[in-house]
Amino acid sequence: MSDFLRRQRQSILTLLMLSPGFAGFLGLFFYPMMVTVVRSLRPEGQEVGWTLANYIEFLSKPGTRQVIVLTFVLAISSTLLSIVLSVPLTLILREKPWGHRFFRLTVLIPITVPGLVGALGLLVFYGSRGWLNLFVTQVLHLPKLNINYTVPGLILFYLWHYFPYTALTTLATLEGLDRSIEEAASVAGANDWQVLRHVVLPLIAPGILAGSVLTFMAAFGSFSIPLVTGGNYRPLSVAIYTQIESFTPARWSMGSAMSVVMAILQVTFLSIYMRVLRRPMA
Amino acid sequence: MNLLRQYVQSILNARKLLIITFLLCFALFIYAPFTITLLRSVGKDWFGKAWLPPTLTLDWYKWAWEIGQVPEITKNTLIIAALAVTMSTLIAIPTGWAFGRRNVPGKEVLMSVILLPRMIPPIAYALGVARIFYRLHLVDTHFGVALAHTAICAPYAILVLSSTFEGLDERVLEAASVCGANAVRTFFHVILPMVLPGILSSVIFTFTTSYNELTLTLLTYGVHTKTLPVRTYLAVGEGYLEVTSAMAVILVIPSLFVLFMIQRQVAPEKLVGGFKGV
Repeated sequence: MSDFLRRQRQSILTLLMLSPGFAGFLGLFFYPMMVTVVRSLRPEGQEVGWTLANYIEFLSKPGTRQVIVLTFVLAISSTLLSIVLSVPLTLILREKPWGHRFFRLTVLIPITVPGLVGALGLLVFYGSRGWLNLFVTQVLHLPKLNINYTVPGLILFYLWHYFPYTALTTLATLEGLDRSIEEAASVAGANDWQVLRHVVLPLIAPGILAGSVLTFMAAFGSFSIPLVTGGNYRPLSVAIYTQIESFTPARWSMGSAMSVVMAILQVTFLSIYMRVLRRPMA
Repeated sequence: MNLLRQYVQSILNARKLLIITFLLCFALFIYAPFTITLLRSVGKDWFGKAWLPPTLTLDWYKWAWEIGQVPEITKNTLIIAALAVTMSTLIAIPTGWAFGRRNVPGKEVLMSVILLPRMIPPIAYALGVARIFYRLHLVDTHFGVALAHTAICAPYAILVLSSTFEGLDERVLEAASVCGANAVRTFFHVILPMVLPGILSSVIFTFTTSYNELTLTLLTYGVHTKTLPVRTYLAVGEGYLEVTSAMAVILVIPSLFVLFMIQRQVAPEKLVGGFKGV
């Protein structure tokens, strides 16, 4: 009997310990999300009544498809580019070349430094009076490049901000790799390229993909970067903020409907991604 | 034979050159934006085709300091970050302990529920947060903005602390009690020194998150609670590039300090990891 009581007490204690975390979750995430859902079902500017008009209006607007396509184009292409950048970078860093500590620190910079500072610097650097265009016009004698406020420019800025997620995860996976496997492959007569292609890459693929999920999530939800550097290109996050900021009275219901669509898209895409990841690698 | 060796050597050299070029381009890609921002913030009359500013000045910092109200805004930012860090840590210590050391049924599922606020983009629930905070008059208070930050800081603190507590060695605790230490003594002399690095890294990460946070801040700030990122964002809109650059430089200094701490204290991959099962 006392054993039963003790177990009871232990589980109550566990429950008590978990409660701050879940109170935070419920109060600061779940409740706001529910408020957003309810708001999105109310007619604009009214506190009563239920309607789907906001969703219908949003989904049937001609601009909506562009906004959603832009969001996905930015997120997917910056994720792919982050893999293209991270794999050679981490393969080099793994060999611990001269100054590798400095480059490891460099990888951390974009995720520690406030996004706005990076965005501002990138705008200045790639701007019409920036160093890149000085180089292009004065050294190469080519016409000026327009990078700021274009889609390729945005992808580049996203890459700058979000590649560390892929790079750090890939680096951790690579460093956990058993060197003797590669040695066995090269003893068996494989050249460097074959070792890389048939041994190393398949082994680190799960790590690369796991990191790329993080990059994708960050890029899909990115707000401050496109807000400052997007110009006329507004992905979903900025489009939501515009509903509140640029309309008087603010269009809360419309913004909320867009928020719900965004959350659903994110969750759907992530669960597809996870399912693909979990599939055993061939 | 000699020719072959030369050929192999040249390929090896070329590879080395390739690696060096790649690393240099990478460093340029990351650092050039900062360098040019720094130069903008101290440069005067820098127009046209000059590579470097012709004259140097600290005027923009003076402007940022006086007109941009940087001291007051820095104070706001630090108060908010301190509140957010305190709240997240207070939430995370018991919950992280439960996740790390106690028997929680359905641990994996509960953990992913807790991490949900970090997987859904903040803008998706920021409107809800703003509406609730308007109703409760929490908008434009330090506590309110910090509370909004806690929504994204706390899950991360819980994650870091639960793995810290999980790593505590049971045998050391047993040894302490065998040696006759009571619970209080064990806590202060055994557990605390062992978990302090974990708590420190959780504090570093939550501080960085709160310090850099713009999304939830933009929807809950007011005249009295402008933070440095918000001020910089507003300055970008106002268009004085030099003054904005000066603000950006001020904004970046604490981050560099944090970066230094991260390098000394914690494994960098912990910064991004934590989505178990991925």
